[in-house]
Amino acid sequence: MSTPSTIERTDRATLADMVVVDADVHVNDTPGALAPYCEEPWRLSLEALDGASYPYLQVPGFAPNMRLDPPIPGQHANRSVSTAAEMRAELSELQIDVGILFPDHMLLFAAIPNPEYATALAQAYNRWLLEEWLTREPGLYGVVLACPQNPDFAAREIERYANEERVVGVYLPTAGVNPLWGDRRYDPIMAAAEAANLPVCLHSVTLVSPAFPCQLDQFENHFARQVLSHAFAMMANLTSIVHTGVPARFPELRIVFTEAGIAWVPYMMWRMDKYYNEYRRLVPFLEKRPSDYITERMWFATQPIEEPDDLKDLVVTIDLLGGPERILFASDWPHHDFDHPRAIMKLPMPAAAKRRIMGENALELFGIPAPAGKL
Amino acid sequence: MTDHVVGPVEDFPPGTHRLVQLGRIEVGIFNVAGVFHALPNICPHQFGPLCAGTVNGTTACSAETNWTFAWVRQGEIVTCPWHGIEFDIATGQSLSSPRLRVRTYPVRVVDGQVTVTI
Ligand code: FES
Repeated sequence: MSTPSTIERTDRATLADMVVVDADVHVNDTPGALAPYCEEPWRLSLEALDGASYPYLQVPGFAPNMRLDPPIPGQHANRSVSTAAEMRAELSELQIDVGILFPDHMLLFAAIPNPEYATALAQAYNRWLLEEWLTREPGLYGVVLACPQNPDFAAREIERYANEERVVGVYLPTAGVNPLWGDRRYDPIMAAAEAANLPVCLHSVTLVSPAFPCQLDQFENHFARQVLSHAFAMMANLTSIVHTGVPARFPELRIVFTEAGIAWVPYMMWRMDKYYNEYRRLVPFLEKRPSDYITERMWFATQPIEEPDDLKDLVVTIDLLGGPERILFASDWPHHDFDHPRAIMKLPMPAAAKRRIMGENALELFGIPAPAGKL
Repeated sequence: MTDHVVGPVEDFPPGTHRLVQLGRIEVGIFNVAGVFHALPNICPHQFGPLCAGTVNGTTACSAETNWTFAWVRQGEIVTCPWHGIEFDIATGQSLSSPRLRVRTYPVRVVDGQVTVTI
């Protein structure tokens, strides 16, 4: 446990005084953009899909208030960023020095049923990410997509990209993944990530699918689906990862959970520890309590940050899950529920704790050099 | 408290809203069916440009509407363009949380000029 950060005083720390690393921003991986990087015959399909219109029934419900030119950096009506230069400019406008890039469309990756198609798409996405996003602008880093449909291929992809300076982690597509991360069939992926010293990053999305825990079909509106989707995905996958002993079997592996907020974590620590007391003999490969693995080798990205009436409650929550060292700032830029860095900066915590959350933790975890002129 | 003349009333027709800069403060001036309102252009949620949002109505569904969706209060609600939180233009109160409200500034028309007091 770190020093409690619950104090009344708020230091006058500003974003300009600290490195800001954003652990979760999204690139617009359209079919047309990926097509040139994709092997045939799958390329043909991506080319044909280029420019396909967004199915309007997928808009999350009634949206008469939508502005087509929202006053956000880039004014993206469709809330997507298409080039590295745009991303760099927009993150700078938000006072973010470093962004860790995740996909848009490939958030649904794990739900692709055809393993051959999935393999071709993963390969194309990783090629495209490196070529078009990670070599063009300062401060943009990426996570290589691990194809759960083809774990041996995914492990080779991790090895292939492991020495790329701008590749700093492994993206584990989490929405609809079946079986859940933690299943032993994914061991090659975990082993490759561990060997490459790359953290694995779970990222989900709202998806209705028969794969547990995405059976959100019975909810009639997006309020309910949004409330449950990411949080349930992270709770289910964390439990799965712990129940097969991933943190014990891969003792150097570091695990990051994104886009589910943070308040679910203390609950899961207490609940898993309680049943570890009762059922330790079922999981004897765990050499310590589940919460110990969490506070040593797991990290949690802030967005969408919970917004209790009293912000001190959130500071207490951070301490309950192991302290500011466990927390990574994330904006989810440019998605609809992005968090501005101010959402974290306004928390009543010491400047040193904010500096850790806003950037220092991520620089250490991902092995990213501090940007020039900062620190 | 200072009165600021922001322009002739013809520049603010009913059903429109505009941003004006008054010293260091950006203020949204709203004409809701002939009645003027003024709100700061800063959302209490994450400080987005609240008054740059869309003005229209909202949904209702209650015993009064026989538990079917109805469109109500057309022209009285501004929606923050960042995360979609709705505010009652007349009171500055959000529709979703008692904790989220913005102040309102008095506005009146003096000699044909829209005048805000801040
Ligand atoms: S800043 Fe206005 S809704 Fe978030």
